[in-house]
Amino acid sequence: MVAMTQDVVFKGSKEGLYLVLNAKQDFEVIKKKLKEHLEKSEFFFKGSPDVILETGEDGFSLDEILEIQNILAYPFGLKLKKVKHRDRTPVRSKPETQRKSPRAVSAAAPRESVESERTERRRYMRELAGTLPDTLLYKGTVRSGQRIGYDGSVVIVGDVNPGAEVSAAGDIVVMGVLRGLAHAGASGDTGVSVVALRLEPTQLRIGDVIGRPPEGERSAGREPEVARLRDGTIVVEPLEGIRWEGDR
Amino acid sequence: MSQAIVITSGKGGVGKTTTTANLGVALALSGAKVVVVDADIGLRNLDVVMGLENRIVYDLVDVVEGYCRLRQALIKDKRVDGLFLLPAAQTKDKNAVNPDQMKELIGGLKEEHDFVIVDCPAGIEQGFKNAISGADRAAIVTTPEVSAVRDADRITGLLEASGFEKPELIINRIKPRMVARGDMMDIPDIIDILAIDLLGVVPDDDYIVVSTNRGEPAVMADSSLAGQAYRNIARRIKGEEVPFLDLSEKETIWSRLRRLMRRS
Repeated sequence: MVAMTQDVVFKGSKEGLYLVLNAKQDFEVIKKKLKEHLEKSEFFFKGSPDVILETGEDGFSLDEILEIQNILAYPFGLKLKKVKHRDRTPVRSKPETQRKSPRAVSAAAPRESVESERTERRRYMRELAGTLPDTLLYKGTVRSGQRIGYDGSVVIVGDVNPGAEVSAAGDIVVMGVLRGLAHAGASGDTGVSVVALRLEPTQLRIGDVIGRPPEGERSAGREPEVARLRDGTIVVEPLEGIRWEGDR
Repeated sequence: MSQAIVITSGKGGVGKTTTTANLGVALALSGAKVVVVDADIGLRNLDVVMGLENRIVYDLVDVVEGYCRLRQALIKDKRVDGLFLLPAAQTKDKNAVNPDQMKELIGGLKEEHDFVIVDCPAGIEQGFKNAISGADRAAIVTTPEVSAVRDADRITGLLEASGFEKPELIINRIKPRMVARGDMMDIPDIIDILAIDLLGVVPDDDYIVVSTNRGEPAVMADSSLAGQAYRNIARRIKGEEVPFLDLSEKETIWSRLRRLMRRS
């Protein structure tokens, strides 16, 4: 009984119901204890749908948080509102928000903890790489020196500036001007494409083929274009009227 | 006898990268085998100034971390034979490399090239320490401004403390007319403060802006006065005695230029 209260603790507060979990404990044990705890005192939790998860500095991985969220939601009807680490950086835990973009995380973090926000974001990006195979939607300008890497496809709503890098295992779509480097099919997939409203990259990579725009002429196209691999070379075509594989 | 030269300044924006690119081209045009190294990790520019940005596949950090061989990361210049660029990483920071690694890297480059020219980042922190390690010679770039000279003085002290016996000075962006009017620090004023040998004086030249934006170092243009100055510096680096164009002489060139401009 004592051990249990140490690993899984519920506390009431003004903000909502706090769930304090010992992240050092084996996650399977945590899950089991959490379920037991909830089943035993189900009536107690009725009417308090918002749960704030508090963890130690170690925290949980995104996958684990999602599992905890599921346990709370079914069949106990509890909603995980936010996740607090000991350094008090809240992370929105709804998966839709999290997948949306790393900016969503930084926007949710308080201004005063820039350092922990950064660590949090790095951790988040690392974890994101393990939760595939989705599409990452990034809203904003990717600036020189910034790198967006994702183990799926990437959609950028904004520009990719010279000196910036976007690297994706799948396709890359830039709803803006692509002036930097884009690497689609970074883990070897050659059937992927790079699409941009304006395709003016410093360099394009698809699979392990590297291409750069011809010297001299500044990209003539002002229309959306697609870059794909054909016979081992990168071919750029207007997006309009393009035929994809599987098109009739 | 190959040598590694670091181009440094302390202050930003005085023309380190432009100087590195131009000296690299000038030395290569004179027949030497040259590699220019961008040590400004995280804020790379040398590739842009040389017009080689779109050829980068591997960079300095990739070499140091063993992701590729040194030779794979070297980019051959598109216009000049015997000139190579080792680009910096843009998505890392200065702490991605340490001075020992740089020393080894520069040593490796010296084996195959006559000149290794290192473009040092502004500042006196990690990036500076990385850039100067492995160099045999140091050239300090300054402009005729009190703040730039102050920083050059600081850098001179740091270089001397790091074992560089005779750092040399390149004064950039001199405006002879302003000097003549007494509105700009004169060369002797600067030498007086810094007390180091003068390697060259580069006049202010609008063409530098054009060439930088085009990615074609000014040395390649015969008409550029700054290009001429860089060619002279390259010859001095190789040990030739090249007289300095004195101010009055430069002034006549300038006034002649102005006259020509007015006529057209």
